[in-house]
Amino acid sequence: MGRQIVHRLLVSFPALLGVLFLCFCLLQVVPADPAMIIAGPEAKAETIAAIRLELGLDRPIPIQFAEYIGRVLRGDLGRSIISNKMVSEELALTIGPTIELMLGGMLLAVPIGLTLGTLAAVRRGTIVDRFIMAFSVAGVSMPVFFIGLILIQYMGFQWGLFPFTGRTGPIWDGGLPSLVLPALTLGSVLIGPIARLTRTAVLEVLGADFVRTARAKGLRETVVIVHHALRNALIPVVTLIGLQAAFLLGGAVVTETMFSWPGVGRLAVGAIVSSDFPTAQGAIMILAIAFLSINLLVDILYVYLDPRVQRT
Amino acid sequence: MSTETLDTVSPAEETGLLSRSGVLRRLMRDKVAAVAGLSLTLIVLAAVFAPVVAPYDPYLTDLTKVMQPPSAEHWFGTDNTGRDILSRVLFGTRNTLMLGLIGVIIGGFLGGVLGILAAYYPRADGWIMRLVDVMLAFPAILIGLAVAAIFGAGLTAVVIALVVATVPDVARVARGSAVGVMGQEFMEAGRAVGVSDRTLIWRYLTLNCISTIFVFLTLRFGQIILIGSALGFLGMGAQPPTAELGMMAAQGRDFLFMAPHIATIPSFAIFVIVLAANLLGDAFRDVLDPRLQQ
Repeated sequence: MGRQIVHRLLVSFPALLGVLFLCFCLLQVVPADPAMIIAGPEAKAETIAAIRLELGLDRPIPIQFAEYIGRVLRGDLGRSIISNKMVSEELALTIGPTIELMLGGMLLAVPIGLTLGTLAAVRRGTIVDRFIMAFSVAGVSMPVFFIGLILIQYMGFQWGLFPFTGRTGPIWDGGLPSLVLPALTLGSVLIGPIARLTRTAVLEVLGADFVRTARAKGLRETVVIVHHALRNALIPVVTLIGLQAAFLLGGAVVTETMFSWPGVGRLAVGAIVSSDFPTAQGAIMILAIAFLSINLLVDILYVYLDPRVQRT
Repeated sequence: MSTETLDTVSPAEETGLLSRSGVLRRLMRDKVAAVAGLSLTLIVLAAVFAPVVAPYDPYLTDLTKVMQPPSAEHWFGTDNTGRDILSRVLFGTRNTLMLGLIGVIIGGFLGGVLGILAAYYPRADGWIMRLVDVMLAFPAILIGLAVAAIFGAGLTAVVIALVVATVPDVARVARGSAVGVMGQEFMEAGRAVGVSDRTLIWRYLTLNCISTIFVFLTLRFGQIILIGSALGFLGMGAQPPTAELGMMAAQGRDFLFMAPHIATIPSFAIFVIVLAANLLGDAFRDVLDPRLQQ
């Protein structure tokens, strides 16, 4: 298993380099000269030249890229052009809320999706199955912001059930109510795909010999479904949930923007709108690395769940 | 033996997309698919003929008719500057659909070429698939954000994001399908009688993979529209006053509590388009390529 993980790490290395290069480009190919942006519109030519020298903008690109990687490894992502704070500090403040939101969304979506998918598979061809599948196709087709708008409009504004702007604090410190609507928004996007995938996976397993054997042994149907069918169906479902990580990440960016959730996604969008390139670069890098890590984690989990993978 | 006689037995004609008889008939037998297909056709027609169909100028502001709810005069109401929302939705659909189509077509072409070349030239395979892996490391929204940050927000940023979002998945599907075709006997036979690489790749390989790629693209189309409109919603795409559904929803968000229809109607329009596309994609898959079913 160790070898598997090392191999997987090596494979994701080029991807990581790609991420870094894109973020580096972000600092390079900006339409305006960063030195001029920092110096301001009325700066003298010497000031601009001095800043350019300080930033190392006069050196060749490959060397700048190598230096950039060095800086990133030391955790130095530069300073925000707007707030003049260290980008790494801003990221440290925003990464927590983003993880909180994603976990919250997953925690809502995975159990509901698994239950609906299993139910649809077991009741295959009945009205229950059709209803659940119609529901999940609708879910897959729904823009994240549509769900968010409806939740804000009704559960937030009209019925006043939960706050809908900002984050009042960490979960353990009275922040739970403010997490509810954003997590619901993000989670509801995932329920549809998870339910669909679970249904297919469970259906496949239900036809397997060991399920027939379990039934023939006289096990109760719930035991057969939960312990034999669902347990084995989880393997493809876990990978496919991993594939939904892109969904999750994109959804998080939109959700954070809608609910003024102080996460990395909102930081990135705000930075791009205000041409704050260092912050945008840092935020995009963190999001991309988060995405790579989720995929890596899923792969490792896959090896753990399905011992057959190790041998191949 | 000339290549012409071989070409006539090239199996592309049997399995090719267009020559499959009864595809349309089989699609129509599925009621859901028929309704979805009809809706999508109507939506596309309405979008194409938006300048003719739209009752008002989508950019004409009328400050005496601000934020009106739906009425006989304005079916979908008016927005915060008194513009007719129905007209804006029609023009918005046009832009949103166009973005999705351009993304899928360019992305599908590039992805298809990469996948097929990877299957045909084993030596290029590793490199191409590694490139694809790197592309997969970027969720589309992130690409959109990065491109918008570099070149500025706009339709180009969205198109690039959608293309990058399409290419790697299509390349994988195309490669998978092409590897299967490569193992067929007619490939070996073609090579044995000295058919050129170009003909082998195009007439033997590509024509046999195209229906799989096409089905996959229809399945992806809904997702691509969703990504495009999400980028529009984030302000990375079309800039005001251009009507684009995602951006319209974002603008309406500021007036959600006074006039919810400004934001919800464009959002609902996106939902309908994507739903129709998804249902039709599913039906296409069932009819044309049951192997993709998963």
